[in-house]
Amino acid sequence: MKNNEAVIRFEHVSMQFPGVLANDDVSLEIRRGEVFALIGENGAGKSTLMNILYGIQTPSSGEVWIKGKRVEQYDPRIVIEQGVGMVHQHFMLVPSFTVAQNIVLSREPRKHKIFFDNAAAEAAARKLEAEYGLTVPETEAVEDISVGLQQRVEILKALYRGAEILILDEPTAVLTPQETEELFSVIRRVVRDKGMTVIIITHKLDEVMAISDRVGVMRKGRLVGIHETKDVDAAKLASLMVGRPVIFDELIRSGEPGATALRVEHLQVSDHRGLPAVRDLSLELRAGEILGIAAIEGNGQSELIEAITGMIPVRSGRVTVLGREVTGLEPGEIRAAGLAHVPEDRLATGISGLATVADNLLIGRQREPRFNRFGIQQNRKAIRDYAQEVYQRYDIRGAGVDSLAGDMSGGNMQKVVIAREFSFDTPVLVISQPTRGVDVGAIEFIHSRIMEKRNQGAAILLSSADLDEVFRLSDRIITLFEGEITGTFRAGEISKEDVGLYMTGSKRQGGQEA
Amino acid sequence: MSEFEKILSTVFSVGTLQQMLRSATPVALAAIGGSMTEHAGIMNIGMDGMILMGAFFGVLGSFLGQSALAGLGLALLIGVLVGLFFALLVVRYKSDEFIIGCALNTFALGLTSYLSRSVFGNNGTKGNPALPALHLPFLSKIPILGPMLNDQSLFVYLTWIVVLLAWLFVYKTPYGLWLRASGEKPDTLRTAGISPKRMQWIASLLCGILCALAGAHLSLGQLSGTFAENMSNSRGYIAFACVIFAAAHPGKAYLAALMFGFFEAIGLRLQSYVSADLTNTIPYLITIIMMVYVVARKQQRKKKLARA
Amino acid sequence: MIKQKINTGYLISLGVSVLLAFLVGAVILLCTGHSPLKAYGAMLSGAFSAPRHVGDVLEYAMVLGLCGLACDLGSRVGIFNVGGEGQLLIGALTAAQVGVALDGASAWVVIPLAAMAAIASAGLYALIPGVLKVKLKVNEVITTIMLNTVAASLCQFMAKGPWKSSNRTLIAATERLNADYWFGGLLRGSKLSTAIFAAAAIAFVVWYVMQKTTPGYEMKLTGQNPRFARFSGLRIDRKIILCMTVSGAMCGLVGMFRVYGAEHLFKPGVSNDYYFEGLMVAMIARYQPLATILLSLFFAVLKIGAEGLQQVGVPNQIYLIIQTVIIFFMAAQGGFLEQLSHSRNLNSIRSSKKGGA
Repeated sequence: MKNNEAVIRFEHVSMQFPGVLANDDVSLEIRRGEVFALIGENGAGKSTLMNILYGIQTPSSGEVWIKGKRVEQYDPRIVIEQGVGMVHQHFMLVPSFTVAQNIVLSREPRKHKIFFDNAAAEAAARKLEAEYGLTVPETEAVEDISVGLQQRVEILKALYRGAEILILDEPTAVLTPQETEELFSVIRRVVRDKGMTVIIITHKLDEVMAISDRVGVMRKGRLVGIHETKDVDAAKLASLMVGRPVIFDELIRSGEPGATALRVEHLQVSDHRGLPAVRDLSLELRAGEILGIAAIEGNGQSELIEAITGMIPVRSGRVTVLGREVTGLEPGEIRAAGLAHVPEDRLATGISGLATVADNLLIGRQREPRFNRFGIQQNRKAIRDYAQEVYQRYDIRGAGVDSLAGDMSGGNMQKVVIAREFSFDTPVLVISQPTRGVDVGAIEFIHSRIMEKRNQGAAILLSSADLDEVFRLSDRIITLFEGEITGTFRAGEISKEDVGLYMTGSKRQGGQEA
Repeated sequence: MSEFEKILSTVFSVGTLQQMLRSATPVALAAIGGSMTEHAGIMNIGMDGMILMGAFFGVLGSFLGQSALAGLGLALLIGVLVGLFFALLVVRYKSDEFIIGCALNTFALGLTSYLSRSVFGNNGTKGNPALPALHLPFLSKIPILGPMLNDQSLFVYLTWIVVLLAWLFVYKTPYGLWLRASGEKPDTLRTAGISPKRMQWIASLLCGILCALAGAHLSLGQLSGTFAENMSNSRGYIAFACVIFAAAHPGKAYLAALMFGFFEAIGLRLQSYVSADLTNTIPYLITIIMMVYVVARKQQRKKKLARA
Repeated sequence: MIKQKINTGYLISLGVSVLLAFLVGAVILLCTGHSPLKAYGAMLSGAFSAPRHVGDVLEYAMVLGLCGLACDLGSRVGIFNVGGEGQLLIGALTAAQVGVALDGASAWVVIPLAAMAAIASAGLYALIPGVLKVKLKVNEVITTIMLNTVAASLCQFMAKGPWKSSNRTLIAATERLNADYWFGGLLRGSKLSTAIFAAAAIAFVVWYVMQKTTPGYEMKLTGQNPRFARFSGLRIDRKIILCMTVSGAMCGLVGMFRVYGAEHLFKPGVSNDYYFEGLMVAMIARYQPLATILLSLFFAVLKIGAEGLQQVGVPNQIYLIIQTVIIFFMAAQGGFLEQLSHSRNLNSIRSSKKGGA
């Protein structure tokens, strides 16, 4: 039942946050019964636009029309009444409530007008499950069910509220490939059978190609293009997302791999819920090489890296740095053994936003004699001079070493982290998401620094959600699927498409060890 | 009768149970109020001040209007105002609830002592119209329970109703779901179109009212129309311990208040054997152990989930 | 917890808050039939009219300042010590009992031993919530509140029972200390004693460590972002437990100073929620050591001055009202200003829209 009627219309919508223009004059029509993909890099303004549609944020200027009616008041309640439902990237579920209670929250069935009718809530949940073929354990607490099931609860919640237009914000980021496939079949079903409209926010291009009818590309707050999906391919979309066809200069590689610097043997690690995340994984990393990890988010790469670097405990297995076993040591002890770490989440782990840039550059060396007087008093001048020198060497741009690190842009913040970790000059580097949310200019700089380290003989373990980055930097690539290595390749021996098959577990080399 | 039996019979006498009920009632009222704010995600340690305000203004109203009902009315009004003031600072202006709670306790101590001395002079006030105890003839026929429950202040019975209503409200109505969601995951409520802040305002308001009732019970009920400086005497902190102990469940909070009341009562009765100061510490230590137990159980559950 | 720096904006809002608080106080005074001018005048003379008043101001500033610094120390690493009141009492009691038990020994033996006893007992008492927080993530605010009451009851028990004074007029107090062990009085008739020199030295060390040294820098980063601190190689668990213990030990020393300097025996009244007042001072000072010390002086003037109010017939609790109103204003102003600038932004957007249309 496709037709060209616009169910949602954005007219010249702009959103100004302090210091950031998150949406810049966006005009867009979404048609009834289509799957519309909204793509763009982190910070391109996709989520802000959808938060405006959902009534969580009020645009600074411009108008939104839903089913021919102008939105007068940006309030989720009114928007929900008009049939818009949203599945947020971070689920909006109350962990201690049951599945049924979460589904009916805010529109609870009642008895005697004031009492909550739990039996009716469970019945309503069961009815929806049957209608859409989405099974959930309606009497269990949400905190006790898997992430995939939690997402289903979110979808059922939107459907229960009578959504005809469903917004899915990064829905596959936390899903296994099977769960993703199930989600997509649900989307196809609701669009085909129920005439629903689905807007899916993502930055995974293969998913755009697989599920959407039309695709809109956002870049730096602007909507830079709308296309019929059948008219474009992933490469075209990628170049639209970053603004120009990305052609980086060739990085110069020199030197031969040396001795083994990092050895991981039969590693088992649990995630924060206690579920197995890394299963019996072994790898070897040699001096002067970059080993890239290609994996879809949530396949154990984060836990692998955090276990190697001492941030989370190891369940079993051994980690050896330069021949010294470091399993179970504190991060500081592992750094002292010769391993520095650029963490994936720089705001949570990589810096202190409340401290100055100088303080952020110093940490790890604060006990060195040159930074102390009488063995205890900080030598502020020496610290400032040191910070100033690093600041310039790593081309950090901001309000100087005495400004707060939290006030910097993402790219410069990342440079602070890289500057600090690289200046330890450790033989082993573990680098996670080196350029996430970083502008193109800084990417180039960071990549050349990583390559420089490699050429100087550092052993580098690299993990990135950006496959191009993994391909560009790595000497060898391993693919991870559900915490296991599914393949090991020399760079240049395999295409991105083939790597994708190993990342999704549909292909697997026998008895893998890297 | 052996010494041990003597102790036992003292501990489990009607008098002890009567005393337990009497001590528990104001604490329970405040603790139920505190359960509301706790569910709304506000750690409220300002209950002591809220109780004190209720106690003083209850007596003031009773003195000015020469009727206990006027006292109760003024106490309730002040409870509303204090609850709204607390919410204004904590919910609207996002101040640290702990700072505000601390300051509120000191503020209430200062204000009530100051006003008490200004209005009643340095010797305080006594014998204002008070709320009478209820004598229910049918109760006196039942052994043990009868004398234990009879001739208690109206508030003792009122508290049972409050416990029941609070339990129904929190666990059996949609509003209770919203209240709990506002503390556990406010964004969930916001995206469902319900303002979590509104629930927090309501919780603070209810807490203010219930604490004021607790205070009015102290001054108008238990002490028959007398206000003494700092008469809340850390009951707010005991109520806070009850809230924590009960994980904000109104029924369990009442039981926790009974436990505190029980230890207070046997402390008074066993003075010749063991100091009341020592028995008084037991409920607090139990609360700490309870907190540790809750954490340990959570970790165990996580492990179980991982194994499954 | 708001972690903000001391800057001009802070000083302005502090000044405004203090002014408004005195205004609120004036309204209350007027309503109860007192002249605010007379009352505030009496407060001033209550604090400064005689040397012994000044002495009391300094003694109380010492108590507030050390308690406030103890709170600063914990908050710097991200643990909030609300249990100082209990730690103070425990320290006071053990220190007093050391003096009683060793009666007759030289002061050179007794005083250091008493100080060590106060440090050890109060430190250990703070260690419990510290360890529970670090190892089990049990909320330290709640545990320290519980332990305050437990400490108060325990001290009450000891002072009424096993360690009770032979003087029957005292209900709950230990034996009076031998006068040889008293800290020397500095101003006749006041509570000020030589303990203030020890307190000043401690305050200096705490300020120096927190603001100037490498361990202080490590503490700051631990409190700001513990995950980052651990990532960067700091042993944050040890730091938190250590700071909590030292914070408790400081409170214990305050207890000892109160006993050996002012009261000369232990009784529950060696502290009347003094730690809570110190903690509020620390809050107003945004947990900055120097500001904590300066504001301690200010609030000590207020408190001791308020005792002069009795002479003009005004209840001295007006002091508590003024002090807490300052806190209400200071605590609310962050949110208040945010809302103000938000509505101003909205207005400017609206007016610019109108202008554009």
